[in-house]
Amino acid sequence: MSGRAARRVLRLLPTAAALLMVLVLATPLLALLLSTAPGELLDGLRHPLALSALRLSLLTTSVSLALTLVLGTPLAWWMARHPGPAERAASILVQLPIVVPPAVSGLALLLAFGRRGLLGPLLDRAGWALPFTTAAVVLAELFVSAPFYVQSAAAAFRRLDEDLLWVARSLGAGPVRRFFRVALPLSRPGVVTGAALSWARALGEFGATLMFAGNLQGRTQTLPLAIYTALETDLRPAKALSVVMVAVALAVLLVLGRGTVLEAVRARA
Amino acid sequence: MLELELQVVRDGFVLEATLSLTDGPTALVGPNGAGKSTLLRAMLGAVPVRRGRIVLHGRALLDTARGICLPSEERGVGWLPQDYALFPHLTVLENVCFGRPGPSGRARAGAVLHQLGVGPLASRRPGTLSGGERQKVALARALVAEPRALLLDEPLAALDADTRETTRGLLADTLRQLAIPSLVVTHQMRDVLALGGAVVLLEAGRVRSVGAVEEFRASPPGEFARTLAASMSS
Repeated sequence: MSGRAARRVLRLLPTAAALLMVLVLATPLLALLLSTAPGELLDGLRHPLALSALRLSLLTTSVSLALTLVLGTPLAWWMARHPGPAERAASILVQLPIVVPPAVSGLALLLAFGRRGLLGPLLDRAGWALPFTTAAVVLAELFVSAPFYVQSAAAAFRRLDEDLLWVARSLGAGPVRRFFRVALPLSRPGVVTGAALSWARALGEFGATLMFAGNLQGRTQTLPLAIYTALETDLRPAKALSVVMVAVALAVLLVLGRGTVLEAVRARA
Repeated sequence: MLELELQVVRDGFVLEATLSLTDGPTALVGPNGAGKSTLLRAMLGAVPVRRGRIVLHGRALLDTARGICLPSEERGVGWLPQDYALFPHLTVLENVCFGRPGPSGRARAGAVLHQLGVGPLASRRPGTLSGGERQKVALARALVAEPRALLLDEPLAALDADTRETTRGLLADTLRQLAIPSLVVTHQMRDVLALGGAVVLLEAGRVRSVGAVEEFRASPPGEFARTLAASMSS
C-alpha cells in the first residue's frame, strides 16, 4: 500500500468505527420493531400474561418511585449540604447498586430480608414474609433504581447558589419554605431527570426481582419477567411487551430532552 | 441601634470588630480582603462567630457567652449580596413578596416597587432586568420584609457609571428614611458622602477608625483612607 492510500484508510477509520457502533446499537431495536406487525402487537397485548404484567409493573414502579422521592430527597439534600467523610461514604454506598450486577443485588436482598436473612427473624416476628411477594418486587426496584435519583438530585442540589438560600433566610424563610420555594424549583431539571431515569431503571429491573421476588404471574411477574416467560411459549406477548417498553423508554428520553430544551430557552430569556 | 463585638476565624483569617451603629446608614470601607463581606455575613449568621455578641435594639441576636445564636431567619437582618441574588425562577413581584407572603405583602410590595420607580417591572423575571433595576428590586425585596437592620454589600458596584449616579441618591434617601441601622459596603467616596452617616474603616480584619464623614475627609486615618478621600477630586 502506498503512503497516501494508508493515510486515507486511517482517515476513514473513525467514521467506519462510528457507523459500526450505530449499527450495533440500532439493529436489535430495528429487528424488534420490524418483526412486530401492528395486529400482532394488539394480539400480544391482549394476552393474559401481558395485561397482568403491565398492571403489576405500573403499580410496583409507582410505589418504588414514590418511596424513592420521599426517602431519597432528604438523603440527596443531606449529601449536598454536608460534604465530608460521611457524605463520601454515603455517596459510594449510593453508587454501589448501580455498578453491582443485578444477580448480586438479588442475592444480597435475600440475605438481608429473606427468611433466614439478617432481618429475617425480625420480620418473621412482625408477621411479615417479604420474599416472593409484590412488596419484594418494590424493594428490589427501590434498591436498584433509587441510586439514580439520589445521585442526580444531590448533584442538582450541590449546584445551588448558596447566596439565594441565605437571602431567603434573611427574609425570614424557614427550612421548609426555603426548600420548596427556592431549592427545589431551582434544582428541578436534575430532580426530574433523576426521577425519570430511576423510574425507567425500576421498570426494566429483572435479575434482582427474579431472585428475590420470583416469577409469579399477577404477584411478582413484572414486564421484563413476563417477556422472559413468554419467550418459552408464545413469542407474540414477548414482542408486544418489548415494543411497549421501547416506546416507554423513548417517551422518557423525549420528555427529558424537551425538559432540558425548555430550561435552556428559559435561561436565555 | 446595633451593637456588636465579635471574633471570626476563617481559613486562617481573623476578623475582630467592635462597633456601635446608630439608626440610619453607615458606610463600611476598606481595602479588598479587609473582611467587609465577612463582617456582613457574620452579622447575618452565614459565617460562624467564634466569640462575641450582636445586640439589635436591645435584643441579643448572638451572645456566645450566654449560648444565644438566633438562626438567620429570626434575626430580622436584611441582606443584599453583591450580585443581589434575586430568585431567578420568580417574577419581580414574587421576589419582592417573598419575605411577606399573603395579600398584605403583595400590596406592600407593589407600593415599594412603585416608590423605587420600578413598579411596571412587577411581572418580569430577574433575568430580563438591567443592573440598576435588579438593584432596586433587591432593595425592595429586603424592605418589604421589614427588617430591623439592613446589610448592603457593595449595592452600587455592579452598576455602570450613569446608573450609579442616579441610583445613589435614591438609595441614600431610602436608607435615611428607614431609620434602622444599615451598613453599606462601598469603594467609592461619592457613595460615602451621599450616605452622609458615619464611616467605618476596616483594615486587615480590624476596625481602624469610626467617625463622621466630614472628619474622615478632613483627616483620613491612614494611606487607604487618604486615597479614598482624595478620589473625589478626580
